[in-house]
Amino acid sequence: MTFLRLLSQTKLYWGLIAIFLIGVLSSPVTSSGRNIFLSSGNLLDVLRQVSTTGLVATGMTAVILTGGIDLSVGSMMAICSVICAMLLTVPGETPAVFLGFPAVGLASLLIGAVAVRFIFINIEKTRSGVANIRDVQLDRMRGTLLPAVGGVILCALVLSFLLPQVQTKFGVLGVLLVAPAVGLLFGAINGVIIVVGRLQPFIVTLAMMVTALGIARLTAGQNNAVLPVYTGSNATADFDVLRQLVFGIVPMPGIFFIAAIILYSVVLRFTPFGRYVYAIGGNEEAARLSGINAGRVKIVTYAISGLLAGVAAVLYVAQYRQGKPDAGAGLELDAIAAVVIGGTSLMGGRGSLAGTFCGVLIFGLLSNILQLHNINSNLQLVLKGVIIIGTVLVQERNAFDVLAHLRLTSRRPAQRETAAEERPSRETLSLTVGGKEE
Amino acid sequence: MKRRDIMRLAAFAAVLAATTALLPGKDAIAQDKKWRIGFSQATTIEPWRAQFNKDIIAEAAKHPEVELIITDGEDKTEKQVADVENLIRQEVNALLISPKESAGLTGVVQQAIDAKIPVFVLDRNVETDQYTQFVGGDNKLIGRAAGEYAVELLGGKGKAHGNVVEIWGGMGTQPAHDRHDGFHEFTDKEPGIKNLLDQQSGDWKQDQAYNIMATALRNNEKIDLVYGHNDPMAYGAYLAAKDAGREKDIKFIGIDALPGEGVTWVNNGELTATFLYATPGAEGLRQAIKFLNGEKVEKTVTLDTMKVTKENAGQIMKEKGL
Repeated sequence: MTFLRLLSQTKLYWGLIAIFLIGVLSSPVTSSGRNIFLSSGNLLDVLRQVSTTGLVATGMTAVILTGGIDLSVGSMMAICSVICAMLLTVPGETPAVFLGFPAVGLASLLIGAVAVRFIFINIEKTRSGVANIRDVQLDRMRGTLLPAVGGVILCALVLSFLLPQVQTKFGVLGVLLVAPAVGLLFGAINGVIIVVGRLQPFIVTLAMMVTALGIARLTAGQNNAVLPVYTGSNATADFDVLRQLVFGIVPMPGIFFIAAIILYSVVLRFTPFGRYVYAIGGNEEAARLSGINAGRVKIVTYAISGLLAGVAAVLYVAQYRQGKPDAGAGLELDAIAAVVIGGTSLMGGRGSLAGTFCGVLIFGLLSNILQLHNINSNLQLVLKGVIIIGTVLVQERNAFDVLAHLRLTSRRPAQRETAAEERPSRETLSLTVGGKEE
Repeated sequence: MKRRDIMRLAAFAAVLAATTALLPGKDAIAQDKKWRIGFSQATTIEPWRAQFNKDIIAEAAKHPEVELIITDGEDKTEKQVADVENLIRQEVNALLISPKESAGLTGVVQQAIDAKIPVFVLDRNVETDQYTQFVGGDNKLIGRAAGEYAVELLGGKGKAHGNVVEIWGGMGTQPAHDRHDGFHEFTDKEPGIKNLLDQQSGDWKQDQAYNIMATALRNNEKIDLVYGHNDPMAYGAYLAAKDAGREKDIKFIGIDALPGEGVTWVNNGELTATFLYATPGAEGLRQAIKFLNGEKVEKTVTLDTMKVTKENAGQIMKEKGL
């Protein structure tokens, strides 16, 4: 029965396999007899189509693992897309500049602060041989002042380089950094308000969703910022790289999505930060008592969520050649749905990015299959909802549970399985104070 | 544990079998159909879009050799792009598209053109000219027709006089500007015509137009004519006038002439007239079939407008099956 055990351990992938099989088995064929669903072009279309939602769902997963939620991702993507497109089209003459570059400065501040702090602490650790540095004075001096100065200098450099150079490759590259920076900033603001104000993530990100959308509309003004791609501007021609196929096969947005999943998976699985994320989601109080700085971890997850929304925005602008306030409308719901289909619990502490990857693909393949069958679009929505519930049910419960609930069998409902494979083991959770690594 | 796994496996197999059985079979391409034509619609929520779809479906029913596939972009650029990609993969013989917006859909239209699929762009253009044909109405032309009729209603050329309330559609939209400009080509020549409002936008919506009109009625003793950039706004203005008891001495002109909206209101005597903003669905499909059968087609087809008044409203409703 090892086969069955293997299956039960990989239940994450069941839904994906099932949807894929349905696609293959029921796919229409072209007049020349090729299976449309299986054609490489079609599957790569799906990968391109899901990459935006996928990137956002990646950031969302960590947020949900800590027991939070981020409803503002769609609006953050909207504002980032507007800023990115405006900087590419009318450099230096738009409100985007006023918001964009300070955001770069602040974001570089944040990154600088974290990086410098990390470096100093490690230097101190190795020099003193003490594994647990908690010198508040040192922290305060080196952890905030230096990066502050560094951030301002970096911001000034970016500004002075970017504005005259937006028509060059280098300028475009700089502009591409602005959108993720803006996202990071908004995400960090979310996190700080949630942690410092001790408010519900739901309400804070809901407020941010509205606020960011308003800022996006104010920034964009009356019209969408449309890239002058067809007027032969150099900047946007370089920018087109983000739309093209890599090696003539894989769409660039898909590469970004897969890279984000892999990187973030590594972070969640192999770093102390990743373990803290799971620990906080499992039991925040216990995590706090064992010396985890829960607030900081949460702020970082929200900031990364914003950052990935910014990256998604850049890809959106590249693909649709415009940034606009209604980009990313409804994106938060798609992303949350994908995360939940992927087996991550909304309560936090249980789930994985591999699951989210499957969830995103299930969503994309499902839309693709329904469209290939040319099912009426209103009926498609109904079927999507039903199939999502079905998928989650099959992944989370078994027939016995359901039957027992319906009083059809005398068997008591099975104990809820703790998905052992998706949780760090008990040893890794017994954290020493200050996050010393074993 | 084992038993549970078996149950789970069974449940899964059942779900899989059921869904596969429910979906239409492998042979989705009907054999007796000569042409498969894909139509990507931007959204189906708005009444005009719904009529657009009705018209194209009615036209497709007249051509038994055609299989028409309609997709709905749900008012999202990304969804519409995905729809068109999907139609390209299905290797349709021709693609009709009514883009949600120009810039976002240009790339995928280019992709279809590169895949050697003839593309017919309807209602709103894209930023390439390699498509086979563009079919659409001309808002300026419709505005002119409305302006000409308004002058006639207010006393005729050179003698027209009266106070006009114009209720705009969305301020930032091209159709609204075209409908305004065409109208004023006629009314601005008349010294006796006075415009009471300065660019008041009802955002194409009936309720907002009601509020604009209610204010205008309070501020002005005499209003002779209301020109709404679409029928629901003209109707909203009518309702406001009715609530103020002044609908009898005001003429109402709208645009769009959808059978279930404007034409019905004209027929009921609520609106004085409406002008047809024809949906390009039926004409686009006819042109595509013509092209597939090897005939030459024009690069651009501009749809004509039509004045709908009490005389012909009943007739049109009969034709549209109301």
